[in-house]
Formats: sequence, structure tokens, C-alpha cells
Amino acid sequence: MKKLLAIVLALVMVVALGAPVAFADGKTTINVMSFTDEVPNMINRFVELHPEFADKYEINTTIIATTDGLYQPALDQALASGGADAPDIYCAEAAFILKYAQGDMADFAAAYEDLGIDVDAAIAASEIAPYSVEIGTRPSDGKVVGLGYQATGGAFIYRRSIAQDVFGSDDPAVVGEAIGAGTQSWDKFFEAAAALKEKGYAIVSGDGDIWHAIENSSDTGWIVDGKLNIDPKREAFLDLSKKLKDNGYHNDTQDWTEAWYADMAGIGDQPVFGFYGPAWLINYVMAGNSGGSAPGEGTYGDWAVCPSNVGFFWGGTWLLANKNTPNAEAVAEIIKWITLDDSEDGLQYGWANGTWSGEQGTKDTVASGTVMAKSNGELDFLGGQNMFDAFVPANEYANGSNLTQYDETINTYWRDAVRQYTAGNLSRDEAIAAFKQNVADNLDVEVDF
Amino acid sequence: MSKLERRDGNPVVKFFIYFVCIILAVLSIFPFVVMFINSTRSTFEIQQHAVSLIPSSHLLENWKVFTGKSFNPTTGFLNSLIVAVGATALTVYFSTLTAYALVAYSWKLRGAMFTFILCVMMIPSQVTAIGFYQFMYRIHLTNNLLALILPAIYAPSSVFFFRQFMLASLPLELLDSARIDGSREFHTFNHIAMPIMKPAMATQGIFTFVYTWNNLFMPSILLTRDEVKTMPVMVSMLKGDIYKREYGAIYLGLALTVLPLFIVYFALSKYIIAGVALGGVKG
Amino acid sequence: MNNTLQKKHGFSYAKYGYLFSLPFFIAFLVFNLYPTLYTVLLGFTDSKGLGNITFHILKDDPWKNFRAVLKAPTFILSIKNTFMLWMMNFIPQITLALILTAWFTSRRNKIRGQGFFKVVFYMPNIITAASVAVLFNALFGYPKGPVNDLLVSAGLRDGAYNFMNSPTATRWIIAFIQFWMWYGYTMIVLISGVLGINPEIYEAAEIDGANDRQIFFRITLPNLRTILTYTLVTSLIGGLSMYDIPKMLNAGNPNNSTLTATMFIYNQSFQNSYMYARGAAASMILFLIIAALSAIVFYLMRDRK
Repeated sequence: MKKLLAIVLALVMVVALGAPVAFADGKTTINVMSFTDEVPNMINRFVELHPEFADKYEINTTIIATTDGLYQPALDQALASGGADAPDIYCAEAAFILKYAQGDMADFAAAYEDLGIDVDAAIAASEIAPYSVEIGTRPSDGKVVGLGYQATGGAFIYRRSIAQDVFGSDDPAVVGEAIGAGTQSWDKFFEAAAALKEKGYAIVSGDGDIWHAIENSSDTGWIVDGKLNIDPKREAFLDLSKKLKDNGYHNDTQDWTEAWYADMAGIGDQPVFGFYGPAWLINYVMAGNSGGSAPGEGTYGDWAVCPSNVGFFWGGTWLLANKNTPNAEAVAEIIKWITLDDSEDGLQYGWANGTWSGEQGTKDTVASGTVMAKSNGELDFLGGQNMFDAFVPANEYANGSNLTQYDETINTYWRDAVRQYTAGNLSRDEAIAAFKQNVADNLDVEVDF
Repeated sequence: MSKLERRDGNPVVKFFIYFVCIILAVLSIFPFVVMFINSTRSTFEIQQHAVSLIPSSHLLENWKVFTGKSFNPTTGFLNSLIVAVGATALTVYFSTLTAYALVAYSWKLRGAMFTFILCVMMIPSQVTAIGFYQFMYRIHLTNNLLALILPAIYAPSSVFFFRQFMLASLPLELLDSARIDGSREFHTFNHIAMPIMKPAMATQGIFTFVYTWNNLFMPSILLTRDEVKTMPVMVSMLKGDIYKREYGAIYLGLALTVLPLFIVYFALSKYIIAGVALGGVKG
Repeated sequence: MNNTLQKKHGFSYAKYGYLFSLPFFIAFLVFNLYPTLYTVLLGFTDSKGLGNITFHILKDDPWKNFRAVLKAPTFILSIKNTFMLWMMNFIPQITLALILTAWFTSRRNKIRGQGFFKVVFYMPNIITAASVAVLFNALFGYPKGPVNDLLVSAGLRDGAYNFMNSPTATRWIIAFIQFWMWYGYTMIVLISGVLGINPEIYEAAEIDGANDRQIFFRITLPNLRTILTYTLVTSLIGGLSMYDIPKMLNAGNPNNSTLTATMFIYNQSFQNSYMYARGAAASMILFLIIAALSAIVFYLMRDRK
């Protein structure tokens, strides 16, 4: 027994010492840091398609999931420490892109133009969604440091059968009119909710569904000049949420829970009319939870998209480059192919049509309007509707100026406060005070009480 | 009540004991059943009903998703094994040794050392973790499994446990008689003290193994290369981001992660079940 | 002098005390001294923001961070919550663990299948906190979830109850999870302590005709004192640094009712603003609280002989 233990221990030591694997075949290593394998897979595809690139460079990827709160500390540390292990290319999600493009970590990012990309001309030619450029622009020098491949402008995704029952038609124009598409107001939405309620339908699943729309349609962000700022439109979420709950206009679900998914399959307490969301919500979430995979099964095929009453976007991934990268040329090639190439050989054409990996996958909206104009966004899930008709204007309409780098945390505090108010645990004033206290105690932000 | 009745045990009391034990056992096994059943269910099924007791038919699909990612589960499994075995062996051996120093010998700084060990144990780990990471980064021990194994040499709570155990169970006269027999101190520790500590070592061994095997926070920050990632780090990568999760594959990964723990636990559990404590003394 | 006393016996064994505790000490110096000292130092600086390596020691007002933390209502609340959650789970936990230990170590009243029970009761401890949190979130889902479905179909409630939006319910769920994950662990520690007691003591007591109750209270418990001290101190430390379950179950919500002290520290230091200095000050305050309470436990559990 003891000998066995000794042998195991010795083995452990040997293997552990030998663990750091050397990269020594004369190629230059490009370090990539991301939170899913999506961007790394794209880069691998780029290398596959460009043998002359593969001869010179190899890719070393680091993937750390955001879910356990580990990605940002690791990325921050790697950027701050520099050296050979520092990432050349790194990715940031909508929830924290501001920190890397405009906030505390913005100085680590390289301006696209300094990498040798003619960025202004390329943005104009590819018609990149303006909100996406706005978010990726560093305020200190006005230069673009981050761009994405997806566009995540949001629309209203609704059930055709319910639309026909309540509004007499499932035409996106009719439904858009009914919920007040483009009005930047919630008045028509609540009229529609009342009409739906009469026939036993809920207009949305939970208050989270309208929150994303409200958050991004506000005029100002959570922080203005270092001080906490509650935009009137965001404050109104308290009242709108209360109104939804008190009238039974929703099923009182929380996003990403069982009951929310059930509403996509149409098996919740009341049948739910629609969801606010971008194209990825259809592909990643709704299609899988519709209870079928072909028209006629579950709610599959019974959906359609119309423009939203307020403009918003939700989610998305931005690519940034390290300002100290020794391989600017190679980094520029990769970034250009993913974010700015509007040809049929670029990533975005394949992404929009679902063909980028060589097989037919899911279609998605992309950052470049030019690419979407020559792509086909028809989906069986939407009963054959071309989703680009609704999402291209949605991308124009989204606003990127109301974000701050602390949004993820502040939103959590705000949504909890609102839930306490709608559940009757706190009064309206108490809820706002609790929210302010949280921000004051946990963030380096000034708060007026 | 007569003595005879007491010896057989009151049937009502016995029934009550079994009743409580069975309920607790069901509560203990329940999450594992859910985990294993969910590993056979599709992401859709899990999202619609997270808890179910009816197995489904998607095990193979989940396996494909799980193995279709950029990492290799076999590597993860081996890495986890290296870390857990290494750390457990170091913790158990050196903690026993340190505790022995605190109990078997009287030395000037003994009290100070014990207080020091207790203080180390009370430092909230959330905070020093980041300092630890920065330090590992500076001495180039990131992406090296040693960074997770070697610190196991100091395990204050294990030392504390062994000390408390020895205070109650280590007969110091036994050590004296060993000395009279001419046994050297190190030899006495290895061949006389350690066997007495077996049940304590088994419990601490299990706890340390489980803790290091499941540890996610430090490994996911330290190990960024696929070749050195441990199993829990790989499973957490399956979660990716909130927008698109492969629940079936995640549960399969969790189930696979927990299996080796069962094996180690059942192998060591005989020491918890049977009283082998004083085998060393009597033999 | 102590030394001369030992010399009288002809040989000093004291050096082995130093020698055998050396590996522990060296490993600590190498791996943890720097992080610990760094944390202490940070509490007295204005360090803030990642990548911002320049910070200054607060010479004029060294206790500024400590004051800021103690004045923050959220921190005070988090300390209260931590205590409450710990008491709610520890009292039932140690009670059940002691009862099970008494049942399973009784030399007369052999429980059949006790080997199976001992092994199984520890099992909740081998699942990761993250998986446990996901499971309980699903069980108490609202408006759809197994517990709610059960309550409604059994006629106990008219509609679903939003457990995770009620401070009391969420606290009890967390306390239950902690209890359920740790009573088996505590039981194993206690049983291993009982197994370490010399069986001759029991044999003598049996010959004297002591009953089970007398044996448990007069022999088992007194001999378990050192191990009980261990259990109390480690669960105090573990309980007051509770983080995983409340964090992953409901992120400290609703309305911060399950926000614990270490969650507060983590939020200060590593979320968003990277207020290292305040986080470090808060962890030192927490350290002092834990140390003071541990000292009380040691005092209460001291050997009175």
C-alpha cells in the first residue's frame, strides 16, 4: 500500500512537472481569449481557408466561461500582466464590452486603424449597424477598438395563431400597428395586452421580457458624470411591471427559468403572445423550446416577427485586439475577415445564411447591412418569413449610447428592487431607496439619496 | 425497564431510528438520481422540466456534444486525478506530521504555532485567492498542475483535526515505550503513530479528495490551456454563456465527474464504518 | 527552565517539534504569505481599479477604508445575514449529527445497515455547490416547479408561491441546503472521534452496568470534547465565510436578505469597481470577528480538569 502510494506520488510529480507544453515548431503563436468556442471556431475556420496564413501562424485559444464570474478577472489579469501569454485577440460580451471599449480597461485595446485597417471606409461600405460601432468606439480618442459579427437589434416575436384570433390577421404590419411599432411608447402595447387578456392570452411571459426593451430604449445610462442616474424610462419600468402583474398580463415568469421556456412551447398558465428579442433568441432559445422541429409540431412554424414599439438590442460579442500585440498584421487579417468583410467569402455572409462552417446551420442577423441585403433570412420556424425584413431596421433603430461599464451589476440590483415592489414586499420609494443603497455600497459611484 | 429489554432495544425506538435513516437516505440519493437521469435527457426536456424521474433517450446525443467540444474529457479526467491524488496524499501526510509535532513534543513555540495555524484557517479565502493567483502568475506556475498540488502541504483545518484527534486518541506512553525500544522519532511516527491515525486519515483523505476534485475557482483561473484543464473546468466551459447552454451535456459531464468520487469514497469508507482505530496499538 | 528539565531526561525531543512542523511552515511561506500580507497592506491604501498598480498608503487617515465598510448598511446587513444563516443550519446540523453518532456507535443497540447509512449520509457533500444550487432553484421554481406543483395539486395552496422572492423562504432554503450538505460530514467527523476512544473504557463501563444513555453522556461526549471543539470552530469558520450556495442560489436576493459577508467582500474587490482596499478592510473585519468567536469557543470547550 505504501509503495503504491509512493509510486503514484512520484508519477504525479513527473507528470505535473512536464505539464506545460512547449510550442516549438517555428510558427508564431496568436493568443485568443474568449468565453465560448464561437469566436475560436471562426478563427480556426479562417486558418483552414487560408493555408498561407496557417504556414506562418498558429492559434492558441483560452476559453473561460462567463457563468461562474471567472472570465473577466482572468482576462483583466492577463492584459495587465502582459508578456508572451497575453491575448492578442480577446472577446467581450454586451454585458461587459463597455469596460473594455470605453471604461477602465479601454487603454489596453488597440485602435483598429492602428492595426492597419481602413476602418471608417470599411464600416461605411459594409453598412455596419451604427449602435455596434458606437459601443466599440473609445471616447478618449474617438477611435474604433471593437466590432462584432452579429447584430442583435431586437424585434417582437409573436404567435401567428393568437394574432389571428385577437387582431384578425397574422400580418407583421397589422401586429406591429397593434403593439405600437416605432412609437417609442408603451401605450399601444398595454391596449393590446388588454385585448389579449380578454381572450385569455398573456402578452408576454414575464417582466424580464420587456426589461431588455426598456433598458436599451432609455435616453441616458445608469451613470452620468460619475453619479447614479435613474432615467425616467427605466424608472417607469417599476410602474409598467406593476401594471403587467396586477392585471395578469403576463405569467409572472423569470427569464431563463422552466416556466419561461414552457411559455415558448405554449404550455404555460396562459398562452403567451410574444417575446421581445433579437434573432439569436429565435435560433438559440425559442426554436429548441418550441416543442417541435418542423412546422406543425408544438409551436414551431407558428411564429412571426414584427418591429418593436421601442428600439433596443440585446447581447452580442465584440472583438478587440491587444495594443501590445507583436503580430498586428495577422491580428488585423483575422479581425477584418470576421467583422468587416462583406464579400461572399467573409465570415458574415456564411453566418447570415448559416453556411459558414461548411454545413447548413442556423441563420442569424449580422452586423453588416450589405451582407444581409444579399442573404436569405427565411426561416421555417417563422412560417417562411424572411426575418431580415424586421431585423435590419431594428439594427438601425438600436441605441448604443446608454450603456455603462457597471450595467450588469446595476441591472441585477434594479430588477430585484422592481420585483420586490411588484410583489408588494416594498413600497415604490422603499424599492428605489434599496436600489440606491446597493449601488452606493457596492460600486465606486456617487449616489444622491 | 429490565436490563434484558434494553439489550434487545425497544422496537418502537428502533422503528423510529430506521424511519429517520431511510428518509435521510432518500434525501441524500435523490440529487444523484436526478443528475444521472438528466444526463439521458435532451436540453429541451431539461429546460421544460428540470427535475424528472423518467429517463429519456438522448444519452448518445449528449455524449456527442460533450466530446465534440475543443477539449478532451480523458485529459481532463487524468488531470483531475493527478491533482486530487497528489493534493490528498500531501495534505494527509504532512498534516498528520504537523499535528504530531504539536502533540507528541513539547517545544517553546508550540502554542504559538498552533495559534498561527488557527489564524491561517480563519483568513477568508475569497480574498487571498486573487493574491495567490497574481503570485503564481509572477513565478510562472500558471498552467502548471503543481500550483494546485504543492500548496496542499499546508492544510490548516486538517492539521487542526489531526491534533484534536491525537489529543484524545494517541497514547503518549506508547511513544515512550517505542523510544525505549530504540525506535527513531521519524520511524515512530511512520510506523506507530500513523497506523493509529487511520480512521482520521481516511476521513480527511475523503474530504480533501472531494474538495480538490470539485474545486473550480482556482483551477479555472490558473489553468487556461486545454492540456492542463481539470474535469470541473471543462464542464463549466460547457455552460459557455447564458444564451446557449447544452444542459444535457452539462448533466452528463457532472455525472461523469461524480463517478470517480463514488469509487474513492466507497474504497475509503470501510475505515469510517468499522472500528479499525486501535488495530495498531493492539498488534 | 524547561530546557534543563528535558535535559535531565537525557535527551531533548523539542527539536523534532520544530522539524516536523517545518514543511507546513515553509509551504505556507512560499504559497500564502505574500497573498496574505498583500491583503493586509491593501486595507490601508487607496488601491482601486485593476491594472492600476500605483497606490498610496493612507498616512493621514489609515482607518478610512475600515470606517467606510463599517458605515455601509449593506455590510452590517451581510454580517447579520451570515449569522442568521449559520445559526439556522448549524443548530439542527450538530443536533442531528450527534444523535446519529449516538445511534451508530451504540455498542448494544446495533443498527442494521448502519454502514450503508453512514456512507450515504455524506453523499450530498460530494456534489458541487453549483449543481446543488441549480437543483434547488429548479425544485422551488415559480410559477412552475415540482414543489409548487405538489403544493397546488395537494390543495395546500391556490396558486404557486414565489419562494425565491420571499426573504424568509429563501433563507430557510439556504439553511436547509447547508444542513443537508453538512450533517453527514459532521457525523463522520464525530464517529471517527468516537472510534478513536479506547474501547477498554467502554468495556469497563459495560461491566459496571451503565446504560446507553449514561455511556453516551458520561463517556462518549467527554472523550469527544477535542473533536467537538474542532467541529464547532471549523463550522463557525465555514459558516461565517459562507459563499457558494447563497451566491449561486439567488445571488443574495431577495432584497439582500441572503447576502453574506464574503459575498460583500467579493463584490467590493472583484466586481466592477475593483475596490481592493475596501474589500481588504472588510475581510480583516470579518477575520477579527471569526477569531474572537473562535477564541470564545476554545474558552468554553477548554479542558476544565
